[in-house]
Amino acid sequence: MSLQRRPVGETPDGLDYDALAELLDGYVLDREQHLNCEAFVIRPDDVAAVLSTLRDRAAFDHLSLVTAQEYRDRYESIYHLKKYDDPTQELSLVVPTPRDQPHSQSGADVFDTATWHEREAYDLVGIEYDDHPDLRRILLPETWQGHPLSLDYNQDKPQIVPLREHANPMEGRTDVADRSDTMFINIGPHHPATHGVLHLKTVVDGEQVVDIDPDIGYLHRCEEQMCQQSTYRHQIMPYPDRWDYVSAGILNEWAYARAAESLADIDVPVYAQVLRTMSAELCRICAHLLAIGTFALDIYGEFTAIFMYAVTDRERIQNLLEELTGQRLMFNYLRLGGVAWGLPEPRAEYLETVRSVMTEFPDRLEEYHNLLTSNELFQMRVLDTGVLPAETAKSYGATGPVARGSGIDYDLRRDDPYGYYDELDWEVVTDDGGDNFSRALVRLQEMEQSARIVRQCVDVLADWSGEREIQSNVPRTVKPGGEVYRAVEGAKGELGIYIRADGTDTPARFKIRSPAFSNLQTLEVLAEGEYIADMIAALGSLDIVLGEVDR
Amino acid sequence: MTLPTTIEEALPVGGVAAEAVAALTAATVIGTFVMLNTALAGPWAKRKITAAFTDRISVNQFGPLGVGIVVPDAVRLVSKELIVPEGADRPAWDLAPLVLVFSALFAFAVIPMGNGVHLADPEVGLVFVFAIASVASLGLVMAGYASNNKYAFLGGLRAVAQNLAYEIPLILVGISVVLYTGSLQMSEIVATQRETLVSLGPLSVPGWFAIVNPFAFVLFLVANVAEVGRNPFDVFEAPTEIVAGYQTEYSSVYFVLIYLGEFVHIFLGGAIIATIFLGGPAGPVLPGIVWFLLKIWAMFLFTQWLRSAVPRVRIDQLIEIGWKRLLVLAFVNLFVTATVVGVLAA
Repeated sequence: MSLQRRPVGETPDGLDYDALAELLDGYVLDREQHLNCEAFVIRPDDVAAVLSTLRDRAAFDHLSLVTAQEYRDRYESIYHLKKYDDPTQELSLVVPTPRDQPHSQSGADVFDTATWHEREAYDLVGIEYDDHPDLRRILLPETWQGHPLSLDYNQDKPQIVPLREHANPMEGRTDVADRSDTMFINIGPHHPATHGVLHLKTVVDGEQVVDIDPDIGYLHRCEEQMCQQSTYRHQIMPYPDRWDYVSAGILNEWAYARAAESLADIDVPVYAQVLRTMSAELCRICAHLLAIGTFALDIYGEFTAIFMYAVTDRERIQNLLEELTGQRLMFNYLRLGGVAWGLPEPRAEYLETVRSVMTEFPDRLEEYHNLLTSNELFQMRVLDTGVLPAETAKSYGATGPVARGSGIDYDLRRDDPYGYYDELDWEVVTDDGGDNFSRALVRLQEMEQSARIVRQCVDVLADWSGEREIQSNVPRTVKPGGEVYRAVEGAKGELGIYIRADGTDTPARFKIRSPAFSNLQTLEVLAEGEYIADMIAALGSLDIVLGEVDR
Repeated sequence: MTLPTTIEEALPVGGVAAEAVAALTAATVIGTFVMLNTALAGPWAKRKITAAFTDRISVNQFGPLGVGIVVPDAVRLVSKELIVPEGADRPAWDLAPLVLVFSALFAFAVIPMGNGVHLADPEVGLVFVFAIASVASLGLVMAGYASNNKYAFLGGLRAVAQNLAYEIPLILVGISVVLYTGSLQMSEIVATQRETLVSLGPLSVPGWFAIVNPFAFVLFLVANVAEVGRNPFDVFEAPTEIVAGYQTEYSSVYFVLIYLGEFVHIFLGGAIIATIFLGGPAGPVLPGIVWFLLKIWAMFLFTQWLRSAVPRVRIDQLIEIGWKRLLVLAFVNLFVTATVVGVLAA
């Protein structure tokens, strides 16, 4: 018998849900089958107890997403749990609450990430979480009337806000304003370093940040609702391009494609998988280049050469993607069951261009290493600032380069394989530093790995001898059923989609797990006590895109 | 002989009136000359240099190499709306841009630019330059405080902290030069540097202080970059941190004035360095004024290069470098220079 206790439910061949149900004996009211995993139905009062039991005893240390939805007879919150060690081991907790009294216990005590996810659930659907530390609206303005994703919400009713509701943002923060040695300052929504329309309500003590409260939602475009009103087959696919809109489009599309394909049980031909893998990795390089470039802007100032170098390199890859997809940013390249087009003709010439760009790319990266990571002044600025310890990162649900920069070895491309990644030879990059430097370093090294993946894909495509099947046979109208939560490794981290299908050709609930949303929440850890300059650097190193945070 | 004297002698009449006319004309000539450089530097050279560093082309439509952009840009900038922030401390807010520009312009009065282009040559020339140039700090504080804006306020505070930390090393290094020359007079400082240091066959190396004491030169260069607030020491503007620092609320003509002040300051920094370290207008073949221009433009290029390639340090690091490193090194430099000069004199 091993001295080390194996987490409950973990067996060599997958998860033993019976053992988990036994562990939660007395809590589990019912067991449901979702397409990705089993779901346990629990009482609204037991949320914190169940979550902490699962985290401590069964090693479910990753609360990936909280989905809220309204049925005709009840509200439901779903806590999607995973393990950082093995994200294929999943468990969903379904918490139904009565319609007339939508009160549910908060999970924020157990997982910090629940704080924001539950705020969003409250904001959009209207479930109230008891014992929540800070249950305010998050995406919509404080003055909003009603909850837009609830069933009886009247979309046509104008939102008229009386003047008195336009409260001074200083009010309600008198606790801080009363202290004469601090200053409240609004950083954003219009500020050179907030990477979009982010508003940071910041309290500074001289040059140091005492308290920071990100105010998001300025770019909220009802993406979830728009997807719920669109058909699976064709209408949803263009939307993901608009989430993380700085060239990570295909990665986002893949998140939807993966969820919808597993929901409707659609196969994807191998040739199309290779095309997807190649184009997605090109997107990842573009996204990381922009992240590095803007991070350099935050550290260097507005006239740095690095930003222009990054944009120049990104342009080369953008041209490749344009030739492949016909678009530069809003690709709309993936289709359920494959991709929209094959390689542009002449194929050999195109592949040769991709190969030569990708072969040169590591040399180009060397220049960024010279200018950034091996620059002593740069190191002086970013080493040991904005530190995110691994345990905190897990509690906040951080994923992607942010988690890997904190030494968490978590990458869905390897841990929950999809596409063609399994067949290729590449590595997951991690760094133990957990500071601003590590996150930038991880991105730089990941680009190198992505270039490696693309080169291998080019080899596969160049030597392809069979039929070049770019799409499988998918019915014109897809009417699946069931519930599924599937995620892919987006540019910023775990980009997941939860879909509840009700047998019609549009989703009954479409929920996006945005990695930038969860990553941004860690800013309160990264920034507190740091200098303003380091807070800005930390924000840059998180690499958020507000289109994805606000959806 | 200074420029006003030359003009006065050329005038057909003499007396106080002629003296006044000569002084005013000379001042206008030099002021225009400096402004001309600034006009080229701001809308055109800065863009071209930054573009060259970042593999771009930049302005190229008006005139040769796009230099004509100066005119449309000037029209554009002055025709913008001047927005006065609510609650601005009016006289101070309006005066700040003027203080910034004129503090730098006045200092040019004692800079010898070669070929007799020299407005005045008082015995306390070097002290005058430092004294007038540091009045700019007052302008920064006024701008930061009077704007009634938190970013401007933070920028103003940073500016004071930075100028305090770097002006002292700057002046200490300046003093070490004075120890060599034994004079504060600019013409005297330039003349001392004209003497040959060593002769290598046909070549003779001039006794420029940058060659005599490279250590002091580097110290001065670093302190000067901080003094004019360019990367890596541009914390009081720091666009990605505090928007634009003390100049956040300035628009239109005031914006132009503030930018003008910044550029005149950069050129003034270059002029001081040229005068006390690089032999002023001295140089072979070409006339003195051309050499002087080359030297100040080289300093301008240097600041723009830093701007494109060097990260900004954090405010605490900046203060630490100033007080704990640069000040100590400046004292060491002063001590060593004094010892060497004393020994040589004995």
